[in-house]
Amino acid sequence: MERLFQSSVDEVTRLLGLAKPEVSVLEDADAAADELVVSEYEKYVERKFNPEVLAVLKRHDLMGVPVEEKYGGRGARQLVESLTLERLGQTGMGVITFADVHLCLGSLAIQDWGSDEQKERYLPAAAKGEAVFAYGLTEPEAGSDPASLRTSYVKDGSGYRLTGSKYLISNGSIATNLIAFARPADGKGITAFIVDTKKKGFSVDMRLEEKIGLFTSDTSLLTLDDVQVSKEDLLGVEGKGLSVAYSALINGRIGIGSGCLGVMEDCLNQVKERTTTRVQHGKEIARHQLIQKHVAFIESSLESCRWLDYRAAIKKDEYDKDRTDPVLRADADRLSAVAKYMSSRSAFESADRAVQCFGGFGYSIMSPVAKHFLDSRVARIYEGTDEIMELKIASSVLGREFEAYR
Amino acid sequence: MQLHLEGSNAMNAPAARVYSLLTDPSFVAKTLPDAEDVHVLDGSSLEARIKLRIAVVSSALKMKLTIDRTSPPGRATLVAEGSGSGSHMKITSVFELTGDSSTTMRWSADAEITGVMAGMGSTLLKGFATKKVEEIFTGITTAVEAAA
Repeated sequence: MERLFQSSVDEVTRLLGLAKPEVSVLEDADAAADELVVSEYEKYVERKFNPEVLAVLKRHDLMGVPVEEKYGGRGARQLVESLTLERLGQTGMGVITFADVHLCLGSLAIQDWGSDEQKERYLPAAAKGEAVFAYGLTEPEAGSDPASLRTSYVKDGSGYRLTGSKYLISNGSIATNLIAFARPADGKGITAFIVDTKKKGFSVDMRLEEKIGLFTSDTSLLTLDDVQVSKEDLLGVEGKGLSVAYSALINGRIGIGSGCLGVMEDCLNQVKERTTTRVQHGKEIARHQLIQKHVAFIESSLESCRWLDYRAAIKKDEYDKDRTDPVLRADADRLSAVAKYMSSRSAFESADRAVQCFGGFGYSIMSPVAKHFLDSRVARIYEGTDEIMELKIASSVLGREFEAYR
Repeated sequence: MQLHLEGSNAMNAPAARVYSLLTDPSFVAKTLPDAEDVHVLDGSSLEARIKLRIAVVSSALKMKLTIDRTSPPGRATLVAEGSGSGSHMKITSVFELTGDSSTTMRWSADAEITGVMAGMGSTLLKGFATKKVEEIFTGITTAVEAAA
């Protein structure tokens, strides 16, 4: 296993215990990450989507990591899923974005909220990589305030018809199914649906390739024009779709935090190699104290965030054992926000410092650290901006009556 | 920056014949992928311009390859060294052959890279090198088996 990841696995095993099948998942993640290094780099430099990610994750049986074994997944608890994403995060946030959306926002939303029939229908295909999920909450006019979304649905004889736009949707143009949120055209209450992207009226209006980074990840603007959804594809309870959305985001935020740990690990590895081999002023630049300051920052950030993320994962595992407990849910929600907030900010600053240590070459996407600088920036925005995380964390301390976004 | 790779390959040819082919610069010259301006200098060395493509970036390095038949009939050392496109590279590879009518080749390669290419980091370069080595050995195996 990669050295820093091995130390994470060893520490978690020593303190919390990991079963053999869990270690096996992590070995597969390690092999997949190794395999992805070259294609991620090539596609990043070409500023192109990387289709190899799906192929490699399929090959290493990682498309259903948290999916229960009876549905063909690996049955991993959140802590193991987090470690998996930590290792994949070393290859960059492009891989994490794909995996987080498919696993945390898509597969787990169905596993947590779906009927038995929906689980039977979607999870085995998702675990095999035959189905890929996207998550359609964000709209052109609804970002941090999803309750203001405008996509609407009407009931017809056999189910529902959805109309609206979904914006900045990761995996949008490659997904087989979109977890879409919509409100009734004539009423209140948002509902979640599992939309078949091959249905008439579903279109990828635009592949958003003008991003400042995250080139290897697919981001799209989707249009739903009277798309038919059967009544069997309503996810959860009608009118309670935001519960589905927010619960999925707890999974997703822990996953993003985990990916950011991987980013920091890669930054540390790359900085160590670069600064101990590059000679300026007659000595390796690692011997200059101001470079050591950057190394110390990245290492401290990594160690600080690692346990925040693991703690959030452990709390989520506790909540998964008793999903009726509101205190456990609130704790998982708060800790996932803390983990994502701290890890994404720390990853971005670590990447910035890594670029600095690389000097002029660090400013080129040919360097191994520039992509982390460009890509980790989005982790401070998607799945809850820094500001929304701050408000959420503050209100979890102050009480719901102090929620600033109400 | 330093890289270490090792592995083994099977060839359907007698070990003595494989050894004589792989220590012959004229034969090695034919197996080099993406090589231009190949000149065999003498019985143990050659020069070539090697094109390396990493993603959208192409580099060309002028390399000299020297073959040292340290302990025949099984073992030899090949040293390739050269510069170009802001990078310098020295690769020392050792192979050892075992077998009789068919051959197993165990090999190791240590590369020392400086300049622009070194900045890409060993994680990435090891990934590229692994792919490249696979390509090289496929070519060598095909050529050896055809010539044997």
